[in-house]
Amino acid sequence: MPNAFSMLKKLLKKMPSANFGGEKLVDCRGDAIKQEDSPLLARRLELIRQRLGESKDIVIREFSSNNNQVKLAILYVDGLVDRRLINDHIIRPIQSDFVVKNFSHRLTEQNALQLLKKHITSISEVAEAPNLTQAIKMMFSGETALLINGEEKILIYSTRSWDRRSVTEPETEPAVRGSREGFTETLRTNTALLRRRIRHENLRLESVRAGRRTGTDIVLAYINDIANPLTLAEVRRRIAAIDTDSILESGYIEEFIEDVPFSIFPQIEHTERADKAAAAILDGRILIMVDNTPHVLIVPTSFFQFIQASEDYYERPHIATALRVLRLFVLNIALMLPAVYVAIITFHQEMLPTPLLLSIAAAREGVPFPAVAEALLMEAMFEVLREAGVRLPKTVGQAVSIVGGLVIGDASIRAGLVSPSMVIVVAVTAISTFALPAFNASIALRLLRFPLIILAGMMGLYGLIFGLLVILIHLAGLQSFGVPYLSPLAHGSANDMLKTFARPFWWMTSRRADALGLQNKKRQAGNTGPRKTPFAERELTHEKTEEDDAGKR
Amino acid sequence: MLEKGKISPRQTGQLLFMTTIATVIFFAPSMITGIAGRDAWLAALLGPMFALITLLLITWLGRKHPGLTIFQYSEVILGKWLGKTVALLYVWGFLHIGAIAVRESGDFMTTSFMPHTPISVFNFSMILLCAWSVMVGLEVIARMSEFIIILVVSFLLFILLFSLPNWELSYLLPFFSRGAMPVLQAALIPAAWHGNIIVIAVILPFVTRPARALIAGTTAVFASAALLTIGVIGMVTVFGSELSSSFLFPLHLFAQTIDIGQIITRFESVVMTIWMAGIFVKTSVFYYCAALGLAQALNLKEVRPVVLPLGILLSTLSISLFQDVTTLVTFLRDTRPYYTISLYFLGLPLLLISVTLIREKIFGTRFGEQTNEA
Repeated sequence: MPNAFSMLKKLLKKMPSANFGGEKLVDCRGDAIKQEDSPLLARRLELIRQRLGESKDIVIREFSSNNNQVKLAILYVDGLVDRRLINDHIIRPIQSDFVVKNFSHRLTEQNALQLLKKHITSISEVAEAPNLTQAIKMMFSGETALLINGEEKILIYSTRSWDRRSVTEPETEPAVRGSREGFTETLRTNTALLRRRIRHENLRLESVRAGRRTGTDIVLAYINDIANPLTLAEVRRRIAAIDTDSILESGYIEEFIEDVPFSIFPQIEHTERADKAAAAILDGRILIMVDNTPHVLIVPTSFFQFIQASEDYYERPHIATALRVLRLFVLNIALMLPAVYVAIITFHQEMLPTPLLLSIAAAREGVPFPAVAEALLMEAMFEVLREAGVRLPKTVGQAVSIVGGLVIGDASIRAGLVSPSMVIVVAVTAISTFALPAFNASIALRLLRFPLIILAGMMGLYGLIFGLLVILIHLAGLQSFGVPYLSPLAHGSANDMLKTFARPFWWMTSRRADALGLQNKKRQAGNTGPRKTPFAERELTHEKTEEDDAGKR
Repeated sequence: MLEKGKISPRQTGQLLFMTTIATVIFFAPSMITGIAGRDAWLAALLGPMFALITLLLITWLGRKHPGLTIFQYSEVILGKWLGKTVALLYVWGFLHIGAIAVRESGDFMTTSFMPHTPISVFNFSMILLCAWSVMVGLEVIARMSEFIIILVVSFLLFILLFSLPNWELSYLLPFFSRGAMPVLQAALIPAAWHGNIIVIAVILPFVTRPARALIAGTTAVFASAALLTIGVIGMVTVFGSELSSSFLFPLHLFAQTIDIGQIITRFESVVMTIWMAGIFVKTSVFYYCAALGLAQALNLKEVRPVVLPLGILLSTLSISLFQDVTTLVTFLRDTRPYYTISLYFLGLPLLLISVTLIREKIFGTRFGEQTNEA
């Protein structure tokens, strides 16, 4: 009993502090601060110094207007603003003769807000913050706050400017043909890249903010009259439900809003390519752009989006269709080639033609491990190599791949640790993994390879089909924002099926995907292809020759 | 509602197709040829047509009681206790067919591929998979079947196509060498399999456009009859009627005869793989129907609680129902057609229909709303 009592006592002791901590997290302005906030400039500046501490990058500059009637203070974060803009267009006009000439008798603390906003300062984007907390928040995203003595409201000037990476070709998604512009870490640049591609009034960019401490800007981009409003509402709801203190990359958001976060398969697509993002929006999907990352999220998505590359849509449809079939094939290889090899070598040798079987058996002679162990060993080795190659600097990476791939591979065969056929299988699988356009999908395949190898080693092709059915049940149950993950295959229309597994001519694709439930499915009026025009062209050339003839005469 | 998902008429047709073709193409040909000899293909063509009767009866009942499964409207028609008895009879029927399907796959694996592995390994792993898919729901099963049907059909067509060089069409002649009676008798075997279309009595309320279900079911019956007939023709013309009736799994041996340029040989392991996927869909459907039926008969709010107990029952049944593969084949050939057709595919539906009609015509009871047809 006394023990329990003391525990209770401890708990009671702890409670108030815990409570306090919680409040602090939820709401950063305490009651005390709220009371103290007063229009008086000196009090306010005192308060700001108290709240923001001694951070060197926060600049507070007090000054007064030229006619000495109004006391002012300017507040900004150094490095996030264009200082010349502040000097030339906020401070100078207020302090210059301009004020004396035109407003010397009129500028007082009472009308300063309106006069400054409308007449004196010359910056295009001006807003008013109702209180100090709001102003400080905005200041941290690169705005400049102008405090006026005796005035409750605070003027906010947009002076954002910081060092940013320029728009470059995305390294993770290169393409032979097509735009080389990739997204950057600056949200505004990214939205501009979109606007430049879609010049339509219905392209909407909706701003949300998430992350209590990082205060990260998130933009939902969609086309108002195409996107499915229910999907949109669901995206909004899920983003609004995010309650975390930090969002540093779109991957954070991805995990928070995914349908089945435990799934190994990504239910949200991401891209760095501006043209791919624009195409997704035009297809009626929704973009989630996050500040400070070039990776933009696309929802909803389906499994087969991962065999599509943006280049498909720029090259001739024939090769694009062939490539999609190839990628489908490659996807299967990347997932199960080692497992199939293990199953055949261990259980179903009769499937191989006799000469091939003989040569494989000869090569495997003297290999001390069963095929399963061999496969697992080599696959694990390959994963190590790959991880090392990613982490090392480019110059050393080359050496690692040579030592790892060539030297170790060759030596292990000569030493009789693994058979050459296994090395071929693992190498082909590795190359197939890289041939898939979507990196996050190939991660899932890489991981699933291992259990499949083990199952195939245990029960041959039966084990393999067992594993594949497990994956299939999982995939068939997945959804991405209400759209079935196996979408065109399961639950799909013929139109979707054609557009996923083949790449029809642009003038043939008059309908958007049916699975998304869009408001506006029509992309273009019927068949507007070149086959309708040759007659007109013939007339045109005919007229031309007549004119030419006339000119000659 | 126990099931929230909805499936399209196309998916319904595919599910019905899978429930029959998955096992009939493997087991039936040798039984049919055993009875009908070289006219087996005629029996394979005629037998499935019988399923159209079941389909008509069930869709009629479904139209009379829109939105209800057979477990529910049997209670509406026959009253609480008799209705529940009929529902439980059907639950047993679905379990039985499911257990037979699992047993078939297990026997196939142990006789043809892994003779040293106990059958329980295959049966239990298959039922484990099915239990999971039943938990996830009908919609997911339908989506999977859409994927698997492509594999099953394309591989069947593939082996039939590449066996064409071995076909000896003169093996089919003369027609009616044993007379018409054996053909009709043999037709009962595929008829028993195609009667599996009875599952539409359970999934009809979950079809988005129930009026289209009849067309979907008919298409499924015709498609699987066509595939079975071609399969039987292929087997008889390659092996001859005597030899193919002596095989346990003629399709398996049939696949072995394929040889494409000495690159693709001995294809049967892949066929086995695909077939297992087919069995999986079939068992999932029957398992699902049994689970849903039990849940509805017991007035449960969810299907989940009964899935595991039924799975255990299914595993036990799949092992203890038959001693070995011969008893299984004997049962399938000599007993099952009469038992399932007379009870599940014709008897009980006819009972339900007649009671409905009597109550309507004589006692003036009105069932359901017939307004939402179209």
